[in-house]
Amino acid sequence: MSDAAIETERLSKLYPGGHGIAELTMSVAAGEVFGFLGPNGAGKTTTIRTLLDLIHPTAGSARLLGLDSRRDSVAIRRRVGNLPGDFGFGRETTGRQALDLLARLRGAATDRAGELTERFRADLDRPLGELSRGNRQKVGLILAAFHRPELLVLDEPTGGLDPMMQEEFLALVGEERDRGATVFLSSHELDEVERICDRVGIVRDARLVAVERVPDLLGRARRKVSVHLADGGGLEELRRLAGVSDVERFDGGVSFRFAGDVDPVVKALATHHVTDLEVSRPTLEEVFLGYYEGGEEER
Amino acid sequence: MRSQLASLVGFHLRERRRSALAWGLPLGAMSAFIVAIYPSVQGALTKVVAQYPEGLKQAFGIGELSSVEQYLHGEMLSLIVPLALGYLAARAVASDLSGTAESGRLEVLLSAPVTRRAICLAALLAAAVEVAVVLLITLLLSLLGSLLAGAGLGLGDAVAGFAAVWPLALVGGGMAVVVCGVSLRTSVVTGAVAGFLVAMYVVDLIGKLDEGLAGIRHASIFRYYGNAIEEGIEPLAFVGLLLLAAMLVLLGAMLFERRDLGV
Repeated sequence: MSDAAIETERLSKLYPGGHGIAELTMSVAAGEVFGFLGPNGAGKTTTIRTLLDLIHPTAGSARLLGLDSRRDSVAIRRRVGNLPGDFGFGRETTGRQALDLLARLRGAATDRAGELTERFRADLDRPLGELSRGNRQKVGLILAAFHRPELLVLDEPTGGLDPMMQEEFLALVGEERDRGATVFLSSHELDEVERICDRVGIVRDARLVAVERVPDLLGRARRKVSVHLADGGGLEELRRLAGVSDVERFDGGVSFRFAGDVDPVVKALATHHVTDLEVSRPTLEEVFLGYYEGGEEER
Repeated sequence: MRSQLASLVGFHLRERRRSALAWGLPLGAMSAFIVAIYPSVQGALTKVVAQYPEGLKQAFGIGELSSVEQYLHGEMLSLIVPLALGYLAARAVASDLSGTAESGRLEVLLSAPVTRRAICLAALLAAAVEVAVVLLITLLLSLLGSLLAGAGLGLGDAVAGFAAVWPLALVGGGMAVVVCGVSLRTSVVTGAVAGFLVAMYVVDLIGKLDEGLAGIRHASIFRYYGNAIEEGIEPLAFVGLLLLAAMLVLLGAMLFERRDLGV
């Protein structure tokens, strides 16, 4: 028996239109925070819905918390919390009414909901239709986490949250991990992923193209560097370095992109008089591009 | 399972409490008006109805109109109330299944350890209670109309007449669960069930109008609905319609379990 919280084996969901997920094989360890990244339409939400048995796979299998995602769906959901990508519960319903119903369906106490409500400054007494997207999202987070689930599945969890609440969310995920819960989240925010995820999976055109530790992911991403040089010297040696590309001269310096080991780059620059140096963090799109341009990467 | 069902049904009913009044009060007011005017139009009606073609009278359940019960059946219980409440049941079920899918609630509910079958069953049970409340309001207002106008509507007859609508309406609700197993678009669900109810009525009507086609009436739920306000409830037909509704819910739940949600 594996101690993985999520295990999929060639899990596939194919639609006539061609989207979905294809032969997804991965494993998320218990207690891990796993980020699931990819552009819109790549298959993130389809994967989450398939794991939760909301949609049925056309092939392959998935196990959550050691149980079969289809046969043991109800038992799994007893131990899982889920925040859908587009959280809603009806415009007229208040968060408290939704919470009361879910607590009764789960047979769970709502004491932690009070604590989370205070923490996220959520309004549970106004109809959800009157709340902004961010405030609705807070209610969704409370509904997903109030029963202390062993596995939290969060689809774009910080959408609409203001920066302060995003910080609060990141802290909450850290605490969930500390108490031993597994967190599986899809995201577009590289900063968020970098701060909270242990590993990430990248999906592209319905296929999982890579699973990486976050430092490795960032290490493979091409960063943009601008160097201002007092001597205006030639930087032909930069072009010859492995991982360096797009070298361009500008007035007073040079810009280029690089991925991989930074040490040779620093040593090459050290032979010149550097007056300023800017290194831009890669955006998530640039990270994706690193994979997309390279075609299928090793898993 | 039982407490989950109770929680879901209670939640649906709290949400739809205004709907029961919105349907019950107008239907009840209309029914009360029909009953209340009966004493003043009775004589004229008898003469007018005597001139109706026999087929027309049979088709629309118009008897001699020599009693307020016959009048209430002809004006309300033969067509308007069963069609309206069959549609209401379908609408209530659609609201709890396809409506919740459209609002995103279904995905949240199914994150909890609740089966899709329980969600389907809860939708029909909530619809059953809502229809019963509407029927009760309509019955009470009809009796009030009779009391105020001295129309003499019999309590037992009226109870039988309105109670007989309940299983027929639940067949509409059961059919809505079946359609939800195929489509989660509320307009499709309510439209399909409305079409089904009208088709059932037309089949019964054709069977009544043409003796040679009388056999097709057996395929219509309106054949089993009958005319309980005058003839009393036929227990076998009443239970048969309830069993049909139950079978439709089971079929619908099976389809609902097999279908993808949230796509």
